[in-house]
Amino acid sequence: MTPDEPHDAVVVGSGAGGAMAAWVLTKAGASVLMLEAGRDYSPDESPMLNMAMDAPLRGVSTPDKRFGYYDATVDGGWDMPGEPYTMAEGSEFMWWRSRMLGGRTNHWARNSFRMGEYDFKPKTRDGLGFDWPVSYDDMAPWYDKTEKLVGVYGSNDGLENHPNAGPGVLHTPPKFRVWETFLKAGGDAINIPVVAARRAILTKQIDERSPCYWASACGRGCSIGAAFQTTTSLIPWARATGKLTIATGAMVYEVILDASGKATGVRYIDKATGSHKEAKGRVVVVAASTGETARILLNSKPNGRSEGLANSSGQVGRNLMDTVGSNVSAYFPQLEGRPRYNEDGAMGLHAYIPFWDYKRIQSGEVDTPRGYHVEIGGSFGDPGMGVGSGLDGYGSSLRADVKRRYGSRIGFTQRGEMIPNANSYCSIDTETKDKFGIPVLKFNFAWSDHEMKQVKHFQASMKELIDKLGGTLVSEPAEPDKAISKGGEIIHEVGTCRMGSDAKDSVTNQFGKTWDIDNLYLTDGSIFASKAHKNPTITIMTLAMRSADNIATRLRTGEL
Amino acid sequence: MTITKASDLVMIDRRVTLKWLMGAMAAGQLAACGDAAKGVTWAEMEAIKAKGYGTDPDFNNTAAPWPLTMTQAELVAASGLADIILPAEGDYLAPSKLGVPAFINEWVSAPYPDQHKDRVLIINGLAWLDQESRTRFGAIFASAEAAAQKTLLDEIAFKDKVKPGLEKSAEFFNRFRSLTLGAYYTTPEGWTEIGYIGNQPGTGDYPGPTPEAAAHIKGVIEGMGMKYTAP
Repeated sequence: MTPDEPHDAVVVGSGAGGAMAAWVLTKAGASVLMLEAGRDYSPDESPMLNMAMDAPLRGVSTPDKRFGYYDATVDGGWDMPGEPYTMAEGSEFMWWRSRMLGGRTNHWARNSFRMGEYDFKPKTRDGLGFDWPVSYDDMAPWYDKTEKLVGVYGSNDGLENHPNAGPGVLHTPPKFRVWETFLKAGGDAINIPVVAARRAILTKQIDERSPCYWASACGRGCSIGAAFQTTTSLIPWARATGKLTIATGAMVYEVILDASGKATGVRYIDKATGSHKEAKGRVVVVAASTGETARILLNSKPNGRSEGLANSSGQVGRNLMDTVGSNVSAYFPQLEGRPRYNEDGAMGLHAYIPFWDYKRIQSGEVDTPRGYHVEIGGSFGDPGMGVGSGLDGYGSSLRADVKRRYGSRIGFTQRGEMIPNANSYCSIDTETKDKFGIPVLKFNFAWSDHEMKQVKHFQASMKELIDKLGGTLVSEPAEPDKAISKGGEIIHEVGTCRMGSDAKDSVTNQFGKTWDIDNLYLTDGSIFASKAHKNPTITIMTLAMRSADNIATRLRTGEL
Repeated sequence: MTITKASDLVMIDRRVTLKWLMGAMAAGQLAACGDAAKGVTWAEMEAIKAKGYGTDPDFNNTAAPWPLTMTQAELVAASGLADIILPAEGDYLAPSKLGVPAFINEWVSAPYPDQHKDRVLIINGLAWLDQESRTRFGAIFASAEAAAQKTLLDEIAFKDKVKPGLEKSAEFFNRFRSLTLGAYYTTPEGWTEIGYIGNQPGTGDYPGPTPEAAAHIKGVIEGMGMKYTAP
């Protein structure tokens, strides 16, 4: 079919949420038109084994490529020429866009931690934030289905609020490397868990995708299909059904309603020609990203309604959350000069530190209400431009120091839960338009004291672990308000169209269906009711699978 | 022409050097040398206007697209300095043999904000180094006696022993050293020396630590009175 013909479903976006919806729907026999604002892309383009020295500036981050020259992201970043966003005075927010087929799934770290029972009912647990309309028990079978499809390595450790996957779901995780074994020994000694990480990386062949070959940074894109991205899986599978039509370079800016208040499709700018076009469908699924989805709804003004579309609750754009981030790193003299071997492995986490202190939060001994996990990085990695940082002097002693220090530094990265607050939201800046003439988003963002206390907890705990292992901090961590990441910097923004149990205080129901428009669904991070410390992608995909299943049923029964 | 010996280049580049001296005088840099450098701000430089590689670069043509901007005199100084930072030793080559000065040139010529900051530091720093060397030892840095070079570097190369007044020069040295180390150890020769043996696709399970590496960490952990868990 062509983009001009009406399809059963119009899906806006080709990342985690959009591609999952498109695959589930096409598999169920529905015709789907997928609209992607960026260009067509396949990781066959990825320079998987190129060396840093073959790249300009040894591949370091630049304003053109924020995650380095070889990063899979093309035409994306926090700052995009001609596509600005603004911030309210006193607010700082970084809005990442990924304008390419597959969106951010082309470069994500593949960390895939399931949300647990506490995470879905945070308000019930501590009175803060907002409960999801689903429980972990509702979600567990969908996590199993999604993880089985995606391919996730990890282990079932039976830890509090870190649910096991069902039998046969997880792939075997790669062995710990020396420095991870070292951290585990320290963690065991002071009761901080160090367990196998969960990542969307195959360690055995499934379908046409190969297992990890233990080299190549996942962020470059994985042409062998081991590291999950929609451009090697959901999108080609959906294409293979013969039911998927893709239009790239299609910048969607509003949803169209008919006189009865049903969505009939969307309007977009065809970037190649600059012309405005309409795409028609029985159901509209928006998965354009947390920011962009809110922007499309707020810029859609049926009958001139100034609050935008699907916004009778007034919650569209509100409850903007990102992951809490901060870092500590240390040198460990005990790791100096250790025997060399290939530590590339899966190039990211084999092990991590899940949050462990729930009991002391419950008892009130710990004053931060929500948890975090710690992503750890060490290894005899590809020595980049940071090699030898912190060393002093010159001459042959410097040469010896570089060698001695190599592989003895470990970085600890906090990834924590943010509680939604009234100061963090996005709205339309009516003064500013992008190069397409579309009004842009304006961000308000502020952390609260909860997040600051969490940073303190992280810093103190990591110092205890580092001490136990005889390490030396690279530098004393800054005060939490200086150490904490900027909003959007961790690129886990969620929450702008939250789901809930009640149309009065949420934008969608538990299936991502907007309360106000019966055939308008949202399947990206915008529908998150809370921002657990767990990286959101696996949950976006799981929710999208569950919602798309609901849509498929309703299409089949003629309800839509 | 390939730069091999700094002394050759002094001859070739006298005109360049002279040109630099005149430019530096105009910029008031000469007065800022030596002990008189106290509290001096180094000359700001105009941002490079060339195009970057863009948001969607062609991975089949990975050469940096911007023109290189360092003068021959600056390259000589960079080469001389890099080779003292990591002197050739046994099988290990000097940085100038592994393209480090050319990389520094690519770096400081890049049209990006971080690189611009380094450009100001490094171009001014190299000029300072040559001028200081000339004033005190009668030769540009790269062709000064080893003892003279050492005297100069010892004033700026150790973070707790920076000669008062030379803080900016020390900042320059620190940055130059980082760039030299980064450029050097990202080469195949650098990988071999440091012991990086990755970027090798394999089949089957990830093998994990070698028996030697595992035995070593087991010894370390147990030596600290903690429990070792085999991977």
